Amino acid sequence: MNTRFLIYSATAAAFLGLAGCASAPGESIYVPVGSSKAEAPEPPRASSKEDKPRVWRKSEQPEVSEPAPRSSSPSYRDAGDSLSPAAVSLIQEADTLLAQGDAPAAIARLERAQRIAPRSAEVYFKLSEAYVASNQLGTAEQFTLKGLSLAGSNARLQRSGWLLLADIRRARGNVAGADQAEARASRL
Amino acid sequence: MKKSTSSSKHNRKTPRKSPRNGRRPWFWRFVFRAGAIGLVLLAGWTVYLDAVITSRFEGRRFEVPSRVYARPLELYDGAGISASALERELGLSGFRKGDGSRAGTYQRSGGRFIISTRGFQFPDGKEPRRRLALTVYRDRVENFSVLSGDASPIVRLEPAQIGGIYPSHKEDRILVQLEEVPALLPTTLMAVEDRNFFDHVGIAPLSIARAMLANIRAGQIVQGGSTLTQQLVKNFFLTRDQTLVRKANEALMSLLLELHYEKGDILETYLNEVYLGQAGTRSINGFGLASQFYFGESLRDLQEHQIALLVGMVKGPSYYNPRRHPERATKRRNLVLSEMEEAGLIDSVRAAKAKGKPLGVSARPSYSENRYPAYIDLVRRHLARDYREEDLRSEGLRIFTTLNPAIQYAAEYAVTDTLGRLASGETREALEAAMVVTAKDSGEVLALVGGRDPQYAGFNRALDANRPIGSLIKPFIYLAALEQPERYTLITPVLDKSFTLEFDDGRRWQPKNYDKTERGEVPLHEALSHSYNLPAVRVGLDIGVDVVKDTLQAFGVTSSISEYPSMLLGSVTMNPVTVAQMYQGLATSGFNTPLRTIREVTDAGGEALSRYSLEVDQVADPAAVHLVQYAMQETMQEGTGKSAYYTVPEELTLAGKTGTTDDGRDSWFAGFSGDLLAVSWVGRDDNGPTSLTGASGALPVWSRFMAQVPQHSFSPVVPDGVQYQWVNAERQALTKEHCNGARMVPLISGSEPTQTVSCSGNLQRQIEGWFEGLFR
Repeated sequence: MNTRFLIYSATAAAFLGLAGCASAPGESIYVPVGSSKAEAPEPPRASSKEDKPRVWRKSEQPEVSEPAPRSSSPSYRDAGDSLSPAAVSLIQEADTLLAQGDAPAAIARLERAQRIAPRSAEVYFKLSEAYVASNQLGTAEQFTLKGLSLAGSNARLQRSGWLLLADIRRARGNVAGADQAEARASRL
Repeated sequence: MKKSTSSSKHNRKTPRKSPRNGRRPWFWRFVFRAGAIGLVLLAGWTVYLDAVITSRFEGRRFEVPSRVYARPLELYDGAGISASALERELGLSGFRKGDGSRAGTYQRSGGRFIISTRGFQFPDGKEPRRRLALTVYRDRVENFSVLSGDASPIVRLEPAQIGGIYPSHKEDRILVQLEEVPALLPTTLMAVEDRNFFDHVGIAPLSIARAMLANIRAGQIVQGGSTLTQQLVKNFFLTRDQTLVRKANEALMSLLLELHYEKGDILETYLNEVYLGQAGTRSINGFGLASQFYFGESLRDLQEHQIALLVGMVKGPSYYNPRRHPERATKRRNLVLSEMEEAGLIDSVRAAKAKGKPLGVSARPSYSENRYPAYIDLVRRHLARDYREEDLRSEGLRIFTTLNPAIQYAAEYAVTDTLGRLASGETREALEAAMVVTAKDSGEVLALVGGRDPQYAGFNRALDANRPIGSLIKPFIYLAALEQPERYTLITPVLDKSFTLEFDDGRRWQPKNYDKTERGEVPLHEALSHSYNLPAVRVGLDIGVDVVKDTLQAFGVTSSISEYPSMLLGSVTMNPVTVAQMYQGLATSGFNTPLRTIREVTDAGGEALSRYSLEVDQVADPAAVHLVQYAMQETMQEGTGKSAYYTVPEELTLAGKTGTTDDGRDSWFAGFSGDLLAVSWVGRDDNGPTSLTGASGALPVWSRFMAQVPQHSFSPVVPDGVQYQWVNAERQALTKEHCNGARMVPLISGSEPTQTVSCSGNLQRQIEGWFEGLFR
C-alpha cells in the first residue's frame, strides 16, 4: 500500500539516528530534603523544619510579603526530553516486534518507554507508527499530535512529525488536513 | 470393596442360628433379599458418590481468587527513586535482606544495592531471573548493571501483590503443578503422612487397624491412619465430624477416586487443597500460598528445613503455627526432618544442619489483606465494566494495576500528617480528606486516598464525595477565553468590579470577591493567579456559560453541569477523581488522557484477557493551554498557591489552582509538576463549615505530598505559535526587560500589543520591533 509505505518512510526518517540522540539520563530531578544522602533513612518527621505546626493563613489571597516573594518566573522550554538509553532499548525491541508484525506487543513495549520518557516526542511518533500498523489511524493521528506538542524547536522532529501527520490524514481521507500538514513540514 | 455394616451383622448371626432350627429356606431367602436390597442401595449410593467425585474433579476443582498487583518497579540508569523507597518497594515485593545471590534477596550498603530477582511472568513476556547491581545517588539509579542473567539496560522487579478478590468461602490459594514443585516436598509429605501412597488403592487397612487399636486404647479418636487420598476426600467432599458413616463414605470415595484418577493427579490436588493457616477471615490453602505466606518465597525456592516445617504443619496448622508457637513448630519440624532422614530423603549431616536452622518465617505475611482499600475500590469499579463479579472471585485472574506504592505511601502520609494540624477542636475531629495522584502524561492513577484513615475501607471520598469545586473551575473559564486570542490575552484588562445579575423570574445574583475588595482593572493572568471572583464571572458571561460547559465536557467531565451563571464560581459538583481527569488535559497541553488503574488482566495461566492502553485526545488548542499553564505557575509563585513554598523547595516548579466554597465547606487544590498531577480535598462529611480555604486546607496536604517525592519540575514546551515577550500590561504595550512593570509573558502570534513603551514611558507604534523580528 502506497500510503503505508509513505508513513513508514516518514517515521524511518524520524528515527534515523535515534540511538544517536540518546543522551545521558534526563535533566535535573528534584530531590526531597533528607533523602539526598544515599544512606538517608526515611525523611525525619519530628525534627525537620517544615514539620513544625504552623498557623495557616485563612485568606485565600495571602499578602505578598509572606512567604518571601519568589524571584523565579513561570518556567518553559524550547524542546522536550531526549531519550534515555533504557527508553531507546525498549523502542528498539518495539521496532523488532513491529517488523515481525506484532503490533500489540510493540505497543506494550512503547507504553513502557512512554512511562519512563513521557516528554519525548520520539516515543509518541513511534506509538503512532505502531497504531498505523494495526490500522487504528485515529489513534495514530492523536499520538502524532502529542509528539508534535513536545517537538518544540527541534526542526528535525517537527518535520518528521508533520510528514507523519500528513500521511495519516491522507490515509484517513482528510486531504485538506494532509496538505496543511505537508505545508508545515516544508516550511521547516 | 468395603462391606456395609448391616450385612456384617447378619454374617455374624448366621453361624449361631443355623444348627438349631430347620427354617433354612425362609431364613436364607430373607438373608438373600436383605443382602440384595443392601447391595442395590450400596450400588446406588456408590453411583451417587461416584457422580459427586467426578463432577467435582472434572470441572474446575478450585475457586481461585484474583490477584491484584501494583505496577512493577522499573530499574534503569536515571530512574528516580530514593534508597529508602527502593528498600521499601523490595520489601513489598517479598524480597528479604540477605546475601543478594539467592533469588528473592538483596544486599544494601549505603546507596549500593545487589538484588537477585525471582523472575516473573508478565502479560507481555517473561522477566527472567537476574542478579542486579545499582547505586542510588541523589534519588537516581546509577551504575545499573546485570551481574548474571540476560543483559538488559532496563529490568522490571516482580510486582507487589496489593490485594485479592476472594471467593465467598474466603479460601485463598496459589495453584501449583506437580512438575513445578520441588521433589522433596511430595516425598517428605509421603514419608510423614502416607508411606505407601503409591501402592495402596486409596485406603490402607493396616494403618486403619493400627489407628483403631490406638483409638480403642485411648477410649477416643486420637489417630487417623488416613491415606493422603482419604485426607483429600475428607477436605474436599465431607464434613469435619468424625462419625462412622462419614468414615465409611470417606473410604468408599477414596476407592472411587483412585479408580478414576492417576496418583499424580490426586497428589497435585492434595498439595493445592490442604489447609495450612489462617489470615483473618481468609484461609491459607495449599503449599503454593503457604510458602508465600510463611516464608515470602516461591515454593520452588524452599530449602529442606522450610519444606519440613510446612509438611509438619499439615497435622495442625494453628497448633503448630510458627509465628505464634515457634517452639512447638520447631519441635515438629525437627521430627519431620528425622523422618526424612529415616526415609533416606536426606543424609544425617544435612538433617542435623537443617535442625539447627531457625524457622526462617517472614515477620508478617508478605502482603496484608486490603492494604489500599480506596485504590482497590476504584480498580473494582473499573473491572466491573468488563468482568463479572463471580469470575473475579473464582477464576484466578491476575490484575496488573498502576498503583505506585511509593507514591501511595507519600500521599497517605501527607493526608494523615497534615490533617491533624489543620483547624482545631471539633472541626479538626470532623475534618476529612481525599487525594488522587496520577502520572501526568499517561493518566495512570498512581495513588488514591479515600479518607483520613487510609486503611479504613469505608466511604471512599476520592470517588463518592461529590462537592462543589469552587475556583477550580476558573482555569477552564480563562482557557475558553484565551482560545479566542483576538479577544483575550494574558494581559487583557479584566474588570474586578461588582455587578448584579437579574434573572427573568426576578431573582438577583450578586457575586463577590473572597476578600470583599474590588480592584478595578487587572490583567487577566493576575485575575486567575489570585483567583478573583468578579473578573472570572464577567469573562465567563462574556464568552458564554455554554462555552465554559463545553470546555469542561471536552476535558472529560461526564456528570451533569448546570448552566446557571453560579457555575462560573464552581457551584458544579465533582468528586476528586473527576477533578483529576479534568485537570489532566490542562497539565498536558490540551490532551485529554483517560484515567486508568489497570494496565492488563490475564487469566491464571498468564494469557492476556484485556489491555487498557494509553489514549490521548487533543481537546484544546495547545497554545491557549500553555497560557493557562503560565498563570497556574504564577499562582504558585505569586498567587493563592504560594504558601506551598513553605513546604516545597523553590527549585521544584509547580502549577496549580486553589478552590474554596462558601464557609470553607470544601477546600480544594489541584496542580501538577513535570511528572505528577495531584488533587486534594479537605472538608467535612456532614458538609459543615470550616475555617479553611483551598490555600490553608487542601494546599498544605498537596504540598506536603509534592515535597516528599523525587520528580521533575513543571516546564512545558512552548507550542507552535506562541512567543514569550516582555510586556507592560498596564500600558498594553511591549517593553524591554528592565523597564518598569516589565513582565515576560507568552502570547499567541497575532495577539501581541501593537505598541511599545520605552523605559522612560514613551509609547510608540510597534514598527522597529516588527522589523527586528523579520531579521532575527
